[in-house]
Amino acid sequence: MSHPTEPARIDNPIVAIEGVSKLYGGVAAVSDVTLHVRRGEVLGLLGPNGSGKTTLLRMLTGYLSPTSGRLSVDGYDTESQRMEARRRIGYVPESLPLYSHMRVREFLTFMARLRGLDASAAAAAIVEVAEQVGLTDRLAAPIRTLSRGYRQRVAIAQALVHRPDLLILDEPTNGLDPRQIIETRNFIRELAGRRTVIMSSHILGEVEKVADRVAILLQGRLLSVEVVADTPDLEALFLSLT
Amino acid sequence: MRALGVLLRKELHATFTSPIAYAVAAVFLLVTGYTFSLTLFFTKVANLTYIFHQMYVLLILLVPVLTMRAFAEERKADTLELLLTAPVHEVWIVLAKFLAALVLVACLLIASGAYAVVLGLYGEPDWAPIYGGYLALFLLACLLVSVGTLASSLTENQVVAATCSLGACLMLWFADSAAYMVPAPLDSVVINLSLIGHFTPFVSGSLFLSDAGYYLTLSLLALFLATRVVTDR
Repeated sequence: MSHPTEPARIDNPIVAIEGVSKLYGGVAAVSDVTLHVRRGEVLGLLGPNGSGKTTLLRMLTGYLSPTSGRLSVDGYDTESQRMEARRRIGYVPESLPLYSHMRVREFLTFMARLRGLDASAAAAAIVEVAEQVGLTDRLAAPIRTLSRGYRQRVAIAQALVHRPDLLILDEPTNGLDPRQIIETRNFIRELAGRRTVIMSSHILGEVEKVADRVAILLQGRLLSVEVVADTPDLEALFLSLT
Repeated sequence: MRALGVLLRKELHATFTSPIAYAVAAVFLLVTGYTFSLTLFFTKVANLTYIFHQMYVLLILLVPVLTMRAFAEERKADTLELLLTAPVHEVWIVLAKFLAALVLVACLLIASGAYAVVLGLYGEPDWAPIYGGYLALFLLACLLVSVGTLASSLTENQVVAATCSLGACLMLWFADSAAYMVPAPLDSVVINLSLIGHFTPFVSGSLFLSDAGYYLTLSLLALFLATRVVTDR
């Protein structure tokens, strides 16, 4: 077991989180977290609701600023070089925020153009990503008419449309039916190796099935970082830690 | 700059497909058209001074309705998180929302230009106050839209945003009334905060840089503050 305050040395990590804390009115949502993420791995952030997973992910995307500490993506500081860092990130928030008045293609075009793709590159990327997530037959549909499962596909498509190095998924299986959960799980596994994926979940089984490594958070503190394949009884470990 | 274009296109689409825009446009043009017809019928004088003052009041009342959704709607739907995690400077996001609402108000002012055309066709109006009046209304729109954008950036509740924006603009309108209670030399500062005090000279055909500067300075200040609010997280 690697101790959280002494992270295992990872050469050229895609994500480096160094002593990061986030305080809200003196209360720590995230407290002194240090964590490095390897290129191409799937890292699961595991913890109960309110353990600081979403806050940590939001700091990584640049949506929130850390109170102290430093985060970087591909060597770019998420505060002082935030535009460069953001270019390398695809992010799917838990609430699946989408512009409901738009059609799927229109929304994906907007997100692709916003991330710097020109019109022809955006059109090509949309065709590719729609096929990847199974949205090809829904590109002309208004987003407001889509089911939760398809909305999630649109949210993932917008996160991948600019071909980011790092995909961040906040509770990606929330609210999905069993078939959709399995499809999402398989999709994340397919991405492994080609892209780095960080996903948060409060469901141990989800993280265990998908992630290469798991980081366990509780009350804003990083308790442990484990290699899933080397941890035969993750459930017992989780219970002993929390 | 390309990001501004992408954002502006999205905001214009959202603005011009919203029923709010058409309700506001209908009310604005109906009320001003009605007043223009009555005034012309009774006075038979070819000027728009009265209409400009009515537009001034209508814009103060209606622009908060147009701007209330700018950020409040994005916050409510969590879509602001998408914008603020994209590689786009926050100032472009604020400017796109500001410009989209301003374009709509400018369209209303252009449509109301029909009144000036009617006066030109059937009378001999003094054009200087008319040009001045439209310039004043445009500058007023810049200020109202920027204050509305700022109010919307502070909350996720659209009604709260519209109410705060309306309250701020009404306070600016009546600011000069408070000058009697303020000792010199602060009283002149308070008088100079007045919206109407910087509006009236334009409508009478007198253009002063200080009046234009007032609207532009307050507009930039409100946009700067809105950018700060959106940036600080």
